[in-house]
Amino acid sequence: MATLKLFCARKTVDSVLKHVIRPTTAIQSRSTWKDVGEQPKKMDWASLADRSANTAFAVELLKGMGITLAMMFKEPATINYPFEKGPLSPRFRGEHALRRYPSGEERCIACKLCEAICPAQAITIEAETRADGSRRTTRYDIDMTKCIYCGFCQEACPVDAIVEGPNFEYATETREELLYNKEKLLNNGDKWEIEIAANLQADYLYR
Amino acid sequence: MSKYLEKFSRMRTIIADNGGLINSIKTIYRTDELKSGRLVGEDGFGNKYYENKSYFMGRSRWVDYSLAVNLDYDASQVPPEWHRWLHYIADEPPTEAQLVKRKWMINHSENPTGTDKIYVPYSTVKPKVQAWSPPSK
Repeated sequence: MATLKLFCARKTVDSVLKHVIRPTTAIQSRSTWKDVGEQPKKMDWASLADRSANTAFAVELLKGMGITLAMMFKEPATINYPFEKGPLSPRFRGEHALRRYPSGEERCIACKLCEAICPAQAITIEAETRADGSRRTTRYDIDMTKCIYCGFCQEACPVDAIVEGPNFEYATETREELLYNKEKLLNNGDKWEIEIAANLQADYLYR
Repeated sequence: MSKYLEKFSRMRTIIADNGGLINSIKTIYRTDELKSGRLVGEDGFGNKYYENKSYFMGRSRWVDYSLAVNLDYDASQVPPEWHRWLHYIADEPPTEAQLVKRKWMINHSENPTGTDKIYVPYSTVKPKVQAWSPPSK
């Protein structure tokens, strides 16, 4: 019973706050207002004539077309894509590439960290010892249709071998073309290294 | 009124920069756009790069693809050094920037999809399982 009483008391206090105190705290004066709802149409002869003329000469349609015409002379807000391109970051994560050392030696040492961290499991690596005794990959496949472009592989790589380059214009007509192997990735690296190196150079202070 | 006269004179300048009325119509047909800007440079494929800072960023740098490709222009025809400038990653064009070119780097090629130079995936390792060939008697 005591609980119920307490509950009722709380409700009373609530209603007192709501109905007695709150109106006194309102400081905004609401004495002026404007009705933005639909107004009753004026039915005097002048208004009727105006409305009929507007309907007869399709004034509202012409006003709309006038806006369309005006927009044709405005500077477009869109870019004309294959000719103009949008801004990219030097950190942009696009098509993958395997890099080389300045000497031309491939960087990848087959540590398989990228393969381990890849959340989409898109990377497959097989390794062997090369004739000169160094450990290299024999297979480095990336399934680009699985890749989610998270960039974990380039973060994981201890020798900066696998990177996501700045290229995103590699769309293909068939799915097979996106199953990249080691040769394709090294070719990408050889093709894009000039820009990849410059982008890494531009960004190295912030990594 | 002077506002409209100014627009008219700008249009005349742009048409003159594009080499007359006929050439301007050809340019509009090819690129859907008529612009005039400073020629920044030209790459090895014959693509010309222009800049006009009076347009907003995204429209202020553009490429005029080589006339050799005519209407078969493709965004992947831009080589990496110019790609960097065209995408506003770099402020300075490759004509001014010192980009290191090493001898093992290969020349740019456009996206080969749909052509006979298409990339076909293949295995770079020997198959793990060899087929058994029965001994001949």
